[in-house]
Amino acid sequence: MKQTPLYEFHANHGRLAEFAGYEMPLWYTSVVDEHLAVRNKAGIFDVSHMGRVTLEGPDATKLVDRVVPTSASIQAPGKSFYTLLLNPKGGIIDDLIIMKTDTGYLLVVNAANKTKDLSHIQSVSEDYNVTIHDLTDSSTMIAVQGPEAIPALQPLSSVDLSQVKRYTHVAGTVGRSRAMITRTGYTGEDGFEIILYDSGLQNNSAAMQVWTELSATARPCGLGARDSLRVEAGLPLYGSDIDDSTNPFEAELSWVITKEKTGYIGSEALARSSLSLTRIRRGIVLQEKIPRHGFAVTTPTDEKIGVVTSGTFSPILKKGVAIAYVNPAHSRTGEPVHVTVRESQANGSITKPPFYDENLYGWKRHKQ
Amino acid sequence: MRDQYSIPEDLYYTKEHEWTRIESGIVTVGITDYAAKTLNDIVYLSLPSPDQDLKQLSSFGTVESTKAVSELYAPLSGKVAAVNSQLVNHPELVNQSPYDQGWIIKIRPSDLEGEKEKLLDSKQYAAFLSSPD
Repeated sequence: MKQTPLYEFHANHGRLAEFAGYEMPLWYTSVVDEHLAVRNKAGIFDVSHMGRVTLEGPDATKLVDRVVPTSASIQAPGKSFYTLLLNPKGGIIDDLIIMKTDTGYLLVVNAANKTKDLSHIQSVSEDYNVTIHDLTDSSTMIAVQGPEAIPALQPLSSVDLSQVKRYTHVAGTVGRSRAMITRTGYTGEDGFEIILYDSGLQNNSAAMQVWTELSATARPCGLGARDSLRVEAGLPLYGSDIDDSTNPFEAELSWVITKEKTGYIGSEALARSSLSLTRIRRGIVLQEKIPRHGFAVTTPTDEKIGVVTSGTFSPILKKGVAIAYVNPAHSRTGEPVHVTVRESQANGSITKPPFYDENLYGWKRHKQ
Repeated sequence: MRDQYSIPEDLYYTKEHEWTRIESGIVTVGITDYAAKTLNDIVYLSLPSPDQDLKQLSSFGTVESTKAVSELYAPLSGKVAAVNSQLVNHPELVNQSPYDQGWIIKIRPSDLEGEKEKLLDSKQYAAFLSSPD
């Protein structure tokens, strides 16, 4: 099993489990407390297991424009964007963050998909003049998330974080490391993801120092809180809510497609599939019980209309919440539904995530 | 991290990590400190109704953390005599006080003497926990 550069901290303070081939922390003390720390103050996550790959060379923009439905050519350097790698059928190979830098692109992909993504990009890149470099093992990546992310990270950072807009990035230093700082994350909260260069497992002292200093003001959080936070924010997880057979329209991710863009892998299939959806991704809030992956969604009269793909207990709502795919005819907000929890039916309704009140939680809270 | 687990000497245990306190004519049942710590924050319990008949080592409910669902197994056969209604609104009591305020049900056992030998005492349970998987 692989270890991240911060493994020693996890082993000393956390409950460990295997995730995507890495020994990762599930939690340090309490999933619910870690979750609430991120919603109310700040939390830090070791996301070094995620794949980090650069694409550089004269044809880098052409390659990116071929593999994702978001236009890379219209982005300015400094932009970070969420997008999808698509297969020829319009199915999702992976969801990822792409940073457009001065010299090319930096891709952050799901740990479990890195090998698959790399071989896909490599096979497409044969037609282009592009150099692909995998820097996953030589770097550390930490997510600093929550309304107090700036006060937590600013003392270690060489750049004025208040000037880094959401979905942009800057190069700078964090602690003793040269770093990429991007104002992104996957919790629903404001925050940053920092990539510390030249800090792999064998030269991890600078990364350990950054983590330790951050942990004085931001709470270390494990994969348990990472999952409950992203479900509560309504964000899909690859492998649970989206996969090679899901298209961006049914996943409610078609906003990543740049209007009128053509010529990317999957574009022809998507032009057809956007017309007829047989299922659509929605949120469900239950009044009692907790929904889980695979549980059936029915109408109150027992007609099966869908299936739960992610479910958890929401520490903010104190209720069970789900991401589910349902029949579009039964997908309007407020529609009453049942979720079959083992032998019994639990009452719930269709909701548009995020599940929390955006005036009180999430990155938009101060923007109202 | 190596957690230390509390294993009171006066209780009996199942390999499914329930404990039972045997008192005159009635037994109290909960999940062990190890189970509570392994599940982490308990956020929901599905419990039986009073008077329901339980069979030894068959499921009588579930206990859920944010991510996982675990079955609860009856240490002894009998009728449910009481359910800890505090847990409906305060499931965290199971984490905070697994052997006291976090008790789950009471059972009026139907064959205490016959079935007791299938349970582990505290030394056997401690040995079971420290044995390799």
